[in-house]
Amino acid sequence: MSQNRTAIKARKLRTLALCITTLAAASAATAQPYQQDGRIGYVLTERHWAIHETEAKTECPQGMNSRGSRDLFAEQFPEGGDGERTVVDTRLMIEGYQYHTNTATTDIYDSLPFYEAQGDVSYGLNLDGEVSADDFKNSAGEEGIDNQLYRALGCIAGYRKDGPYWFFENDFMINNGYNRWMIELSGVDDLVNDDEVTVTTYRGLDKLFTDATGEGFIAGGTQRVDARWGQSFVEEVKGRIKDGVLTTEPITQAKIPWSQPGVSDGYHIFKDLQLQLTLTSQVAQGLMAGYVDVEQFNHRFRTNWSSHHQNYGQSASASEYAALKRLADAYPDPETGANTAISGAVEVTLTQVYIVHPDE
Amino acid sequence: MGRSIQMFEQCFSSAFRPIAKGVKSAMGLLALCALVACSPPDPEPESAGTHALTKLITAEQYSNSLSYIFGPGIDAQVQFAPVARNEGLLANSLATAGVSGGQVQTIQSVASSVAKQVVDVENRQHLVACRPESIDGPDNACATQFVSKVGRLLFRRALSDDEIATYVEYASAAALELDGKESEDEELDGFYAGLQVVLEGLLLHPEVLFIMESAEPDPNNSEQLRLDAYSLASRLSFFLWNASPDDELLAAAESGDLQSPGGVERAVDRMLESPRLVDGMRAFFDDMLIFDEFKTLSKDPTIYPQFTSVTAQDAREQTLRTIIDHTLNQGKDYRDLFTSRSTYMSPALAILYGVPAQPGWTPYTFTDDSPRAGLLTQVSFLALTSHPGRSSVTLRGMALRERLLCQTVPEPPPGIDFSVVTNPDADYPTQRLRVAAHLETPSCAGCHRITDLIGLSLEQFDGAGGYRLTENGATIDATGALDGIEFDGAIGLGEALSQNPELPRCLVRRVYSYATGGPPESDARLALNYFNEEFAAQGYQLRNLLRTIALSNAFSLIKTSPSEE
Repeated sequence: MSQNRTAIKARKLRTLALCITTLAAASAATAQPYQQDGRIGYVLTERHWAIHETEAKTECPQGMNSRGSRDLFAEQFPEGGDGERTVVDTRLMIEGYQYHTNTATTDIYDSLPFYEAQGDVSYGLNLDGEVSADDFKNSAGEEGIDNQLYRALGCIAGYRKDGPYWFFENDFMINNGYNRWMIELSGVDDLVNDDEVTVTTYRGLDKLFTDATGEGFIAGGTQRVDARWGQSFVEEVKGRIKDGVLTTEPITQAKIPWSQPGVSDGYHIFKDLQLQLTLTSQVAQGLMAGYVDVEQFNHRFRTNWSSHHQNYGQSASASEYAALKRLADAYPDPETGANTAISGAVEVTLTQVYIVHPDE
Repeated sequence: MGRSIQMFEQCFSSAFRPIAKGVKSAMGLLALCALVACSPPDPEPESAGTHALTKLITAEQYSNSLSYIFGPGIDAQVQFAPVARNEGLLANSLATAGVSGGQVQTIQSVASSVAKQVVDVENRQHLVACRPESIDGPDNACATQFVSKVGRLLFRRALSDDEIATYVEYASAAALELDGKESEDEELDGFYAGLQVVLEGLLLHPEVLFIMESAEPDPNNSEQLRLDAYSLASRLSFFLWNASPDDELLAAAESGDLQSPGGVERAVDRMLESPRLVDGMRAFFDDMLIFDEFKTLSKDPTIYPQFTSVTAQDAREQTLRTIIDHTLNQGKDYRDLFTSRSTYMSPALAILYGVPAQPGWTPYTFTDDSPRAGLLTQVSFLALTSHPGRSSVTLRGMALRERLLCQTVPEPPPGIDFSVVTNPDADYPTQRLRVAAHLETPSCAGCHRITDLIGLSLEQFDGAGGYRLTENGATIDATGALDGIEFDGAIGLGEALSQNPELPRCLVRRVYSYATGGPPESDARLALNYFNEEFAAQGYQLRNLLRTIALSNAFSLIKTSPSEE
């Protein structure tokens, strides 16, 4: 509970600080040459899985999933906690479910109900260019929105606003240098309308600069490109800017750093990754969407998140894995035909930085 | 003859430096001044010197001295109560500052900590040069060695045999008393516990906390006094290094070499070549530029979100690094500090400057089309001379006059209505329009005419030092004037300031005050003129100015008359 209050307060402060920063920075915008030689860089300063939430939780009419440790223990041992338990019957069994399940699409906790998000509204992009039965429409009424990840995760408390994943994945992104991800736009003639720009993704090396309140981020910082260990995060794609909105072509496969502190394998793989960002000289804000590799999502989840986060996030990795497999909608395995990736979207805010390359 | 030609060339070239576009100047008059100024300087005029003073050591001097004696690994950070600034410098007030009972307690806790660290098991092997026969009790021979060595460096003079015997006796008694006793869960070793007690007492001694200057008859003039050798060593050391004399300087004082022919020249030249000169000059410019105000500087985070505590810290550091590099490392003309585009950059500062930066501190040169050049366009000057939420043309103009030209801007008369300046009014979107009232009101105009025209030329920099072209949607007019020279913007102001004859004269006055511990009295006029001429003749190089002053009679002679104070 106190965790939630802290998260709410932090979010409010962050939002306030961002508003203040944007307003203040806007007044000085004319004087700062943020765009130099047709290049402008942005570093990721906020990200959350795009979960469409309503105040009345109409998207979860059956309620929220209850798969914290206590729920799972009660399910596993309905007779209660008395009596001796063996390691094999308890810890090893749970770990087996978590890390070595071969159950394919079967949820090991399938005796518990798993609630998917309902309705036809979601954030996201039309990744396949089609409008199909499972697609959503966005708040602007655009149809064909692909975001099955939202269907899988939308009724799990941990992913909703102020939940542990919502809060900590962002917090660890800010504070863990491994996660410094940035984009550089080059060939920019006009930040409002430009038919062709090049977008390159990099991993950065430097800390983020917070403002005087300590909550918001300020434009004008510097990030060095991680040319040594960051090569696998480098991708290049064409894009266009129309009415201040950048839309990129799909990146065939992009690796996005997404680690908890000190935990390896902390990244996600997006296939057909697209960016749709509203640009100013100081902030790029919008969506990052693509097909998320299910195996890597699961591997990352199980190796990056502790059981206590899963507990108060009311989630169970085995159940999520099963849901992701069940709802996966792209990249079928050539042998089994089962889809290996699931459409998803991330709400992102990037703040302008000067990107310094190794040869500069 | 060779020196005269060299000086003439130096002076001629500096007098005819390129003048910025937009700066109106009478070249003929300048040339005439240059010719007059470039005449070979006269020898130092007769001087009565200054008064021998008893000055409170500053916290930084105390820490620097302990760092020299015991090494930088000893934590000796101490805060003293602030002193009032007098004629531009805190250093001018140290002779009238005292130590309250509360301060003594603070210093005692530091002294206690330092003494404990020195005799700690991990440090005693290298900080206590001798080994006692037994650590469980007194060892007068080793204690004598320690007390005489450390006491000499702390007191800035050799201790007498009686003094040493007294302290050794204290150490012996404490060793017997404390051996085997427990302190903070540790069993004390008698010998080192005794040294600790004595060292703590030494660190609190009035002769350590106060710099007490003594005079002696000048052998060259029986009616004149001069600093005695130890006092001269201390005055030199605190002036140039901001710390007490090192072993070599004390040895020169003890042997008589310091005051023998050529002795002080040798000592001063060694000190000027030492890397410790950087510490001394950082302290001087920190004082002259009133950088102690950084301790309390704050900006409204809703208006200047990019100005953080790190920004403030780095702004101070940037200017000090720029000055040290320009004046000492590069040996360049002091006046060019106000036009130079070379500086240092840190990542936090780079945000305000709107430029990329590498990690740490790196040399940085503003491009030729940058609106920034010189100290006046650095964040330190711009932010310190602004209000928390807005710039101030008056504060900036006043700061330039008082800090850099040594002029005095009178306090405003009582009962002034500031609302027209502070109240945001859509009819007056810019500072220029708001402060126009200053210049239209006779009771204000007298003073504001000498400040606001300077500050208005810096209006393209906001209260945090960030660059801007507009204010409340209106284009900023950055025209201004300094003592009859008109210009447009900060670059022009820097050029005009660099050519203002009062700029180097002010530095000379401040350096001499700082060196001698008080504002120059009226009879110092001839000495100041001499320093000014030498400074000009030697290309306005700081190191040369320091040398001239340190070697002058005005620095080392002591007045026989009572202080004018």
